[in-house]
Amino acid sequence: MDKLKSLFYQDSLLEKLHQIQITYGYIPEAEIENLSEKYQLARANVYGVISFYSMFYTEPTGKYIIRICDSISCHLNESDSVLRAVKSYLGLKSHQTTEDKKFTLEVVECLGHCGEGPVMMVNNKIFTKINKNKALEILNDCM
Amino acid sequence: MAQEKLYLKGDKLLDISNYEFKSIKNALRIGREKTIKKVKDSGLKGRGGAGFPTGIKWEMAAEVEGKEKYVVCNADEGEPGTFKDRYLLEERPLKVLEGIMLAAYAVGADKAYIYIRGEYSKSIEIFSEIIETAREKKILDANLFDSDFKLELKLIRGAGAYVCGDETSLINSIEGKRGRSRIKPPYPIEKGLFKQPTVVNNVESLCCAAEVLNPDSEEFSELGIKGSKGTKLLCLSGDLNKPGLYEVEFAQITLAEIIYDLGGGIKGNEDLRFVIPGGISTAVIKAEDLDFPYSYQAFEKRGSSLGSGAVIAVSKKHDLIDLMLNVSRFYMDETCGTCFPCREGNRQINKILNAFKEEDRKIETELISDIGNTIRLAARCGLGQSSLNFITSVIENYGKELKFGGKIYA
Amino acid sequence: MLRAEIDGLNIELEEKISILDAAKKANINIPTLCYEDGLSIYGGCRLCVVEVEGEDLLKPACATEIEEGMKIKTHSKKVRDLRKNLFELIIATHNIDCQLNCLTCSRASNCELKDIAEDIGLSKMRLDPIKRGDSVDNSSYAVIREPEKCISCNRCIRKCEEVQGIGIFTTANRGPETVVTTFKDRGMGNVECTNCGQCILSCPTGALHELYQKESVLDILNDETKHVVVQTAPAVRVAISEPFSNQAGDISTGQLVTALKRLGFDAVFDTNFAADLTIMEEGTELIDRINNDGKLPLFTSCSPGWIKFIEHFYPEYLDNLSSAKSPQQMFGAVAKSYYAKEAGIDSDKIVVVSIMPCTAKKFEAKREEMAGDVDYVLTTRELASIIKSAGIDFLNLEESEYDELLGVSSGAADIFGTTGGVMEAALRTATELITGEELGKIEFEAVRGLEGIKKAEVEIGGLKLRAAVANGLGNARKVMEMIKDGEEFDFIEFMACPGGCMGGGGQPISSDKNVLEKRQQAIYKIDKSKKMRKSHENPYIKKLYDNYLEKPGSEIAHKLLHTKYKARKI
Repeated sequence: MDKLKSLFYQDSLLEKLHQIQITYGYIPEAEIENLSEKYQLARANVYGVISFYSMFYTEPTGKYIIRICDSISCHLNESDSVLRAVKSYLGLKSHQTTEDKKFTLEVVECLGHCGEGPVMMVNNKIFTKINKNKALEILNDCM
Repeated sequence: MAQEKLYLKGDKLLDISNYEFKSIKNALRIGREKTIKKVKDSGLKGRGGAGFPTGIKWEMAAEVEGKEKYVVCNADEGEPGTFKDRYLLEERPLKVLEGIMLAAYAVGADKAYIYIRGEYSKSIEIFSEIIETAREKKILDANLFDSDFKLELKLIRGAGAYVCGDETSLINSIEGKRGRSRIKPPYPIEKGLFKQPTVVNNVESLCCAAEVLNPDSEEFSELGIKGSKGTKLLCLSGDLNKPGLYEVEFAQITLAEIIYDLGGGIKGNEDLRFVIPGGISTAVIKAEDLDFPYSYQAFEKRGSSLGSGAVIAVSKKHDLIDLMLNVSRFYMDETCGTCFPCREGNRQINKILNAFKEEDRKIETELISDIGNTIRLAARCGLGQSSLNFITSVIENYGKELKFGGKIYA
Repeated sequence: MLRAEIDGLNIELEEKISILDAAKKANINIPTLCYEDGLSIYGGCRLCVVEVEGEDLLKPACATEIEEGMKIKTHSKKVRDLRKNLFELIIATHNIDCQLNCLTCSRASNCELKDIAEDIGLSKMRLDPIKRGDSVDNSSYAVIREPEKCISCNRCIRKCEEVQGIGIFTTANRGPETVVTTFKDRGMGNVECTNCGQCILSCPTGALHELYQKESVLDILNDETKHVVVQTAPAVRVAISEPFSNQAGDISTGQLVTALKRLGFDAVFDTNFAADLTIMEEGTELIDRINNDGKLPLFTSCSPGWIKFIEHFYPEYLDNLSSAKSPQQMFGAVAKSYYAKEAGIDSDKIVVVSIMPCTAKKFEAKREEMAGDVDYVLTTRELASIIKSAGIDFLNLEESEYDELLGVSSGAADIFGTTGGVMEAALRTATELITGEELGKIEFEAVRGLEGIKKAEVEIGGLKLRAAVANGLGNARKVMEMIKDGEEFDFIEFMACPGGCMGGGGQPISSDKNVLEKRQQAIYKIDKSKKMRKSHENPYIKKLYDNYLEKPGSEIAHKLLHTKYKARKI
């Protein structure tokens, strides 16, 4: 009885969204409608939640999501030159995906490796102390 | 040469079979009231940035009546330059777990969350395993060591939003909402998660609490000075020879020693211009003013704050407008978008700085200061209120040196 | 008893209220923007911040409860300076420029932002407007959205969600990308919007307004080959004077008719006539369903916002809807057939224009099931603007009468303009038709008033009729859930807008808090002043049936006056 009452035992919407994002690489519309039903929220409301968080997408993303930090500590260690190199190599601006759906580029804020910057993340994997060349090597390994 | 104090830092603590849970055992033995009293007497202040006394928070929460109570461990570390919580989650997760258990036990909560930012995938992986084994070992979900205390703990992953580090935004996020701050009062201790009394504590604060209750480190509470007790994890980054994580005792080391001894001084042959002492929401300290002991009150006296412990050294080789734009972009993009001063103020500051960089315009210091005041006095949450501290402090200290466009200092 | 001090005045309060409310009691105006009576507190605009003694940071008056001993300054220099700076920031996002300026704005004559600027003494604007480059949302037949003007105060979102219980709007994204939008930016015409237009009434910026048909109507009035007839809804006559007088609750039926005649309409008729007709058809349907085990409860079908609501959210109950068209559509159908015949005018030449308190009527007129009945729909606001632009001095106009054939109505038709009115009108007629006796007391008090949901049991010749009245879609949803939970009713009136049509999304935007009460009193006053107060007594209705429609529910009546509905996806 107590279990039913407490919202603690309800699936968290945020976790649901993570699972869907992992499964599909984005949050498809049908899933939004399911969530809207499950949580008794207007679908606009669910959309509002999704669009708030930068790790959720409503359109398909690339196989590799490349996140490059440009917050202050990495910036002081020339993350902007890494960024310029990656952008021109992939032909992408931040928040864009290559046509072959291989790479999505995200310029992100602090990834929490500020003592080892610049930092780059490929899907879940962190690479520290990168420079232009290292960054391009990492991208090449994904090819 | 400055020495580190090792309490929070140390060997990896990942194996639950070899972890003794001495602090929580101690707490169970002395009881709730004495546990709270110990934390209160230790003078421990929150390590997330706001610095609210942890013991007082616990005491108030313990007194509130509620159908349910929650403890939330705030592991949404996002302040640029900060990585201490990630260290604790990855290397010493059992201490974190014990801290959560302590808080829950002390305030009378039987349910807790740990909210780890989504980008910390390794931390998430490690902590998920810890929770799982803790359940198997009957550390969670069961009466702990035959006491009447039982805790259920859930992990929630953040999804890429800095503002969720604000405690009320974090609560909204756990509830599956947009991570916008709530209007206080009511404070979370009265009406927080799912409208129930909720204690939100930072990862490091909880680890400190575990040290306070740890019979092996009784001296921990004696460290530091009145108003700044215990030790602090420092995240050194920027233009330093030896960036990294360090643990220092409050007031026993100066900021200059932190930069030049621990941090190994400035890289290359550059000179230090200033230090950002507690992450980009804090006002800068000029290179010539570093000779003071590291404590809450010393920073307050200088119009700054030790914030999250992110100490960022900035040398003279950098373009100040470029740095201000970097920080400005951060706040502009990361505001939750709810309150007008923060959303529009940060947008306008970015515009003003950009115009200064690209056009031959005079920097409008009065306008920046008006906007800065508007945000500080009227924004809805602490993150918003402090969003212009860095920029206004740079302009205050270096405004006269800023020149039109491009390179801006002699 | 709680004591506090506001601006040096000592105040005593019975209970804890917000600083904003306490200030109001002390006759102190604190400027607000995201705050709206009846909506939840948002605390976003921060314009209402005040100084509380002992605290450095300012407190939002709307969201801060007053505490014992608090000393508050609502207009100190610190506060006033801050409000000015803040308002500069806000106005920069409102994007006023040469293209998007105050002169062409729907709120040109009653701009909330301008009032605030005056209240806070704004004297300089140092910031350039923010160009977001959002395109206009004109996907809807009823409501247009100009996001460039939107300042994200969130009032439309809360109105739609909290009052109307729908939630087509959301705040999306964050930081500088924060916008108010619909699901995946689809546009209001492509989501579950009911077209009720309540959001327009809440928008302080003019970012939301009806789809204008003013120009088309002025053009058609200049077309000599057309015979343009106009109908005026019951709720228009108690609100049309507001934009001229800034005063609520005046009745100006006669001036309304004169103004329409001066504008050049060939015949000025009344939707009220069609309201009487609706009672005949819907009343007959009700009696028929009761007598022949038909689907009950019967739901009224006059409110097109309610119709779209049920089509989206409760399609399983579409059979409960009366098949009777709304008065607007009945009028159009009758004008283009019966009136054409009687007046000897080719029906192709007849153009029907409606003046409605409603934005959803614009959508209704476009429904394929009823296409062609009504050609143009103007809101009360649009008509006021046309009257102004024609140089007509509305308040001083002489009064005129509606043209006769489709212009005479009973008091029962007048009360269609308020919540409970359709129910009361139906009860007046149904009672007399069933019992064959004249009603003693004609007012059905139980269905009057402004409560969101009213229930009543009415005795009609031994029959106990379980009636309910809901106004506002949030309340409509509650009643639908009661039905789902097994509560039994026979007849339910649903109106999409709070207060019914008089509170419609096409009505003048009033700053008078009691505007609904005042309009409602005016409506009941009109009813009371009429000799003829029951629909079935209207001689022109009798004439219509005698000469053309045969009897209520006849085959030809069905062809002209009834319609179908369809389930819609969410």
